[in-house]
Amino acid sequence: MVALEEQDMLSLAEKAVKLALRRGADEAEAFVNRSSTNSVTIEIGQISKTARIIDRGLGLRAIVKKAIGFSYTNVLEDAAIEETVNRALSFAKASKPDEDWNGLPTEKTFASVKGTYDRRIADLHSEDLVKIASLMLDAAENTDKHAFPIEGGAGTGCLSEAIANSRGVAATDEGTVIECSLATIGREGGEVTPECVEFNFEREYCIDPEWVGHEAARLAASALRAKRIETGMMTVIFTQFALQQLLYYTLMRAVSADYVQRNQSALKDRVGEKIGSDCVTVYDDGLLEGGIRTGKFDGEGVPQQNTVLIEKGVLRGFVYDNYTARKEGKESTGNGSRAGYLSTPGVDTTNFHVLNGRRSADQLVSGLDNGLLVYSVQGAHTSNPVSCDFSVVATPAWLVKGGEVSHAVRAVMLAGNIFEILKNVTEIADNSRKVGQLVAPWVAVENVKVIGK
Amino acid sequence: MREILDKIVDAASQRFGAEYAEIRAQELRRTSVTLKEGRVEAAKQGIEKGAALRVLVKGAWGFASVGSFDAEVLTEAVSDACKMASVTAPKLKKRIKLTRTKVIEDAVILKPKKDPSEIAVEEKISLALNVNDVAFASDRRVKSCTVNYLDLTGKTHFVNSDGTSITQDELYMWLGVGVTAKEKGVFTHSREAVGSTLGYEVFDVETPQKVGEMVAKRAVGQLEAKPPKGGTFPVILGPNVIGTLVHEAFGHLAEADLTLSGSIISDKLRKKVASSVVTLYDDGTVNGAFGSFRYDDEGVPAQKTLLVKDGVIVGLMHNRETAHQFDAEPTGNARAEDFRVEPIIRMRNTYIQPRDYSFDELAEDVKFGYYLKSFRGGQANLDGTFQVGIQEACEIVDGEVGETMRDVSISGNTLETLLKVDAVGKEFELWPGVCGKGQSAFVSSGGAHTRVKEVLVGGSA
Repeated sequence: MVALEEQDMLSLAEKAVKLALRRGADEAEAFVNRSSTNSVTIEIGQISKTARIIDRGLGLRAIVKKAIGFSYTNVLEDAAIEETVNRALSFAKASKPDEDWNGLPTEKTFASVKGTYDRRIADLHSEDLVKIASLMLDAAENTDKHAFPIEGGAGTGCLSEAIANSRGVAATDEGTVIECSLATIGREGGEVTPECVEFNFEREYCIDPEWVGHEAARLAASALRAKRIETGMMTVIFTQFALQQLLYYTLMRAVSADYVQRNQSALKDRVGEKIGSDCVTVYDDGLLEGGIRTGKFDGEGVPQQNTVLIEKGVLRGFVYDNYTARKEGKESTGNGSRAGYLSTPGVDTTNFHVLNGRRSADQLVSGLDNGLLVYSVQGAHTSNPVSCDFSVVATPAWLVKGGEVSHAVRAVMLAGNIFEILKNVTEIADNSRKVGQLVAPWVAVENVKVIGK
Repeated sequence: MREILDKIVDAASQRFGAEYAEIRAQELRRTSVTLKEGRVEAAKQGIEKGAALRVLVKGAWGFASVGSFDAEVLTEAVSDACKMASVTAPKLKKRIKLTRTKVIEDAVILKPKKDPSEIAVEEKISLALNVNDVAFASDRRVKSCTVNYLDLTGKTHFVNSDGTSITQDELYMWLGVGVTAKEKGVFTHSREAVGSTLGYEVFDVETPQKVGEMVAKRAVGQLEAKPPKGGTFPVILGPNVIGTLVHEAFGHLAEADLTLSGSIISDKLRKKVASSVVTLYDDGTVNGAFGSFRYDDEGVPAQKTLLVKDGVIVGLMHNRETAHQFDAEPTGNARAEDFRVEPIIRMRNTYIQPRDYSFDELAEDVKFGYYLKSFRGGQANLDGTFQVGIQEACEIVDGEVGETMRDVSISGNTLETLLKVDAVGKEFELWPGVCGKGQSAFVSSGGAHTRVKEVLVGGSA
């Protein structure tokens, strides 16, 4: 397909906005994005598939008398865009006015961002991805004879977007991503381990497929010979995978202004209160160098920024999009997130950054007399999204005895509440990494309810 | 349309060296409304069209997706797909082959009683508002209510190099409702969904009154609930909980691609893995159910697939590739979310076959245990470890259903748990859901009330 340059995308967006105004919209906003992804897939232990997906389209918000209509299309021709404009308008007219609607955002200056685009990624071919995947597979197979690669792959994506609205916002941005991942299981005798996953996901070309393969296999092999343990209260070290799963369905929602304003957050009316232990400091950093969610602007064309959420255990604030911010007479924090042209913006965290502590991950383990090292949890999405109570399976997880990893455990559940967890954090390591939108190190938490035998 | 698609498939085989090629061209229209506390966040409608091309070259897959039906664009995409596949081919340890299937020419035209595309968006907004109003009116402790309405309609054209050519209407209806309640610092949450492949008439049965009340009552009922004891107890699982358990804990392991990946059942085919009262189906033919369709995205007819018969694994869910590996028949489980992605093995309507117990008979033998009535979500791992979160549960004391419990979840190992099923009820229910496996699929799951001798119950702290 003919490549769509950023300036063309912006012209399309501006044209759609103008047309909407001409047809009677009070305000209008158009978002155009294009993504081109290449991938190779590993299935059942072999590289068996390559794919290229090109997706692009335009989404238009039209506001008529404080009522909002939205329409999208992936056909970027004049007639289709005109239809899209008309549909958005007729849907706005069919909808109900929202008295809290206080207008689209106005134009602002963007901060500069680093590490979000790498020409080398855009230039990679399928052959290069096959090489990356092979390196990873070979590394896994050479690590341990009981570890079996099952699925994974390597991929790249080039993303560009443009936004224009009737209040002067007109901007474009582009970015790249590259990833490789491998899931393995350990098998020995009749025993099968849970899936053990390792990956790299970066904005610049700095992945290490051999490390990924090796780690995925090492984890699976060490998850074998799992034993059950007794029920009790324990200190638990959560790695980034486990933390990401637990926080995504709880704390990341509780700090969203949409949840707060709608009585769905246990943090409502608690700004300034101590909600975590002294060592917990969390930012929502939309400008983090090389961050997965880093960009110049959010889904509404508002500059992304670094927002303090929790400082030394004290709740400092929430993240806002334009709508929720204006409802409180505030400025958006640049957290109007969008899943491409198909969706309207909504509040979401960008890079949820838990700041490093001073000790190494090894020191956290060696300082633990009797506890669990939890790599991943299962079932975090069933947490109570309002109270933030959770009850999950810790898998894979290992028992730590006398400062050393003793053996894998099985059939272990963790139950608790995310705010109790925040208060019971005893130590934070210095091994920060990105997992999904979380950027965090390992975290040790005391008095976690562990349900075993 | 047919001509262009035929031409592209021919080009793949004759010019670009594909031993198999298929093209799936779709035009989709989504109308949705999101309501938060009665405020219409946005009324939305979008139209998308695009094509997915899949080829097999020297035993390796190539896939391309483009948002266009233009012959030139499609030719370039299919040529790309073939080139990419030939890059992977030399690395293959084992060439991919497809099982033969019957060549089909068919046009599936749906005639819903109430076609959602002919219903004004105003009516859809007022349906959603109704649900909201019912929820708030039912109790003052209801604090928030989110309603998501969606209808998805469209057409899929499928052509492959074996000569199969199918045109199929798409129709999915969805209404998701989430309610929170609050009192004295206690927060509770409840959700429910209506999902159907019939038309808008589904809301004549699943009325706003019924749905709104059910969700609100549950959220409020949880306010006074107490946390369960953690530990191992006998349980009775409601149809939607056993359905989720069967879907998550057994179903995924019996998707043949995951079975081949080494899931815990990979060496247990034709062996007894569950108690004799357990019979499980994955069925794509239940009329109107959310996981039903006529043909899958490889052009294979959907069917009723027996997975476990009286405790013995007798079948898996296949696409044409895994069917070839297992020397089995494809089961019509190859599904793609849309033209942006390739078909993979997915479930449809998955359930435990009802038997003959009444609820009272199931409960009467339980001295102390839990009745787990409704699920919040579930997840399982290849090793058979599952977790199912519960949004509505009660104690059972001396055979009687007692106090309400809050934030319960259960966990265990699939095979150990299925062996401990000792009785299955007689009332059959299916509940809609959206399953994630990289892509989303509309499914349903259920069966009848099921008693398990013991399962690990994880209470809140």
